[in-house]
Amino acid sequence: MGALHLSHDVIDAQLVDRQQEKIGRIDELLLELEDGQPPRVATIVIGGVARARRVGRWMLALHRAVHALFGHREEQESRVPFDAVRRIGDTIELDVEGDTLASMRLERWLATHIVLRIPGGSGERK
Amino acid sequence: MKKWAEVALGVVTSIGGFLEVGSIATSAQGGAEFGYQLAWVLVLGTMSLAILMEMTGRLAAVSQRTYADLLRERFGYRFFLLPLVAVFVVSLLVVISEIGGVSIALQIATGIDFRWWAIPTAIVGWFLLWRGNFTIVEQGTAMLGLVAISFAVGALKLHPVWPTLGRAMLPSLPSHDRARYWYLAVSILGASISPYLYLFYSAGAIEDEWTIEHLGVNRVTAGMGNVFGGGLAIATLVTAALVLAPREIKVDRYEQIALVLATPLGRAGLVFFIMTLFITCFGATLEIVLAMAYLLAQGLGWNWSENLKPDKDARFATSYSVLILLAALPIAIGMDPLTLTNISMVATAASLPVTVIPLFVLMNDGDLLNTHVNGWPSNLALVVIALLSIVLLVAALPLQLLGGG
Repeated sequence: MGALHLSHDVIDAQLVDRQQEKIGRIDELLLELEDGQPPRVATIVIGGVARARRVGRWMLALHRAVHALFGHREEQESRVPFDAVRRIGDTIELDVEGDTLASMRLERWLATHIVLRIPGGSGERK
Repeated sequence: MKKWAEVALGVVTSIGGFLEVGSIATSAQGGAEFGYQLAWVLVLGTMSLAILMEMTGRLAAVSQRTYADLLRERFGYRFFLLPLVAVFVVSLLVVISEIGGVSIALQIATGIDFRWWAIPTAIVGWFLLWRGNFTIVEQGTAMLGLVAISFAVGALKLHPVWPTLGRAMLPSLPSHDRARYWYLAVSILGASISPYLYLFYSAGAIEDEWTIEHLGVNRVTAGMGNVFGGGLAIATLVTAALVLAPREIKVDRYEQIALVLATPLGRAGLVFFIMTLFITCFGATLEIVLAMAYLLAQGLGWNWSENLKPDKDARFATSYSVLILLAALPIAIGMDPLTLTNISMVATAASLPVTVIPLFVLMNDGDLLNTHVNGWPSNLALVVIALLSIVLLVAALPLQLLGGG
């Protein structure tokens, strides 16, 4: 395969983890700058802060305000090295465990604190 | 054989999906105030929706991605916010109206004020979404929704004047109340072409695991289903034209619409009206909150499926749960369902450009659709619908002010 278009094929692409579970989209890509080295695409960012930053300062401020309201102190954002990419196709597979990502904290919290306390919340396929 | 079963089911589904609180209310108002004259708007709306559904269904079946997925992937997050916010605002208005429709049906049936029914409706709806799967939601409400055929029976028993109805299938200018005429035309289009319908349909193609093999099923479902669904909306307009117009009853309460079936069919007609209003609005409530949760989950890349248990897609399941309960509140505190319905339909019409215009780009993308990209007739049709959507956006607010009262 030849060149990959970052804005067409990579940014906003669906990410899946080792188990093929959906773990968000590529919200931002970071270039790594090191002295004496050419810049290279090094990091995938997943999370609301990255998305808000893309929209503009006002959205970032709004995002921070909402999170402050809920008493969140740390940013719920995941940074995954580009080396973790295993496959690029309709979706992009990362060699990570979705459950360990900071950007999946809300998903985990809702699952354990809300969903599992309501009858019928868990089990095999419906 | 299995294919034909799927086709039949698909057709039934889109009939059930077409008629709901918006179509019933706006078609009845149109018939009551302008006789058959607005029938052409229903033809235009039905054809537009059929075309949009065929395209979003084809896009999903071939690219294996939903329309919401592609709105994010191909246009980026900044652009995606536009359809996300627009669809959320109008869909929330529409789902509140649908819960209003269910509550009014229960009020007519029991005599207990509609406000008391909003929260129980939301709880039962939530329970079905939480415990049921996609097939139950889609096919269950569609099968029961066939009771809407009673509108066709009612229209036939009233012996419509066929040549006059035939002429009304072509556009004509009103002889009186022009602002009101065009206001109702915009409302009817908003009721026919709802973004939630094609967002739900496109997610449904993935839920039902459609592939290229299903393109035929898709074409027949979108085409025939909408012809039948639109036909029932025309039947509603006809019954209103023959029952309400001669008595000079303008529809400003849902109870008045019950007359359109009670007159030709007697007491059974009243029962059929209540059942139709109840089931179609209830089905639409489930589909709209699911469509909103799909849009959010797909756009942000969350796990989603109505076939998974809620702990496997906690954010998705929480979204529809919160939305359905939130939508019950305005009705529970006594907002008037019919006023809300009219406002929602005009708002829907105004929201169409942001979900119709991007479709043009996607349907011509060879990377996504290979040989299944739009041909020139489809592109021409889509351009016409896009232009129509822009006209609706511009005209909606002035007409709401001039003809909404």
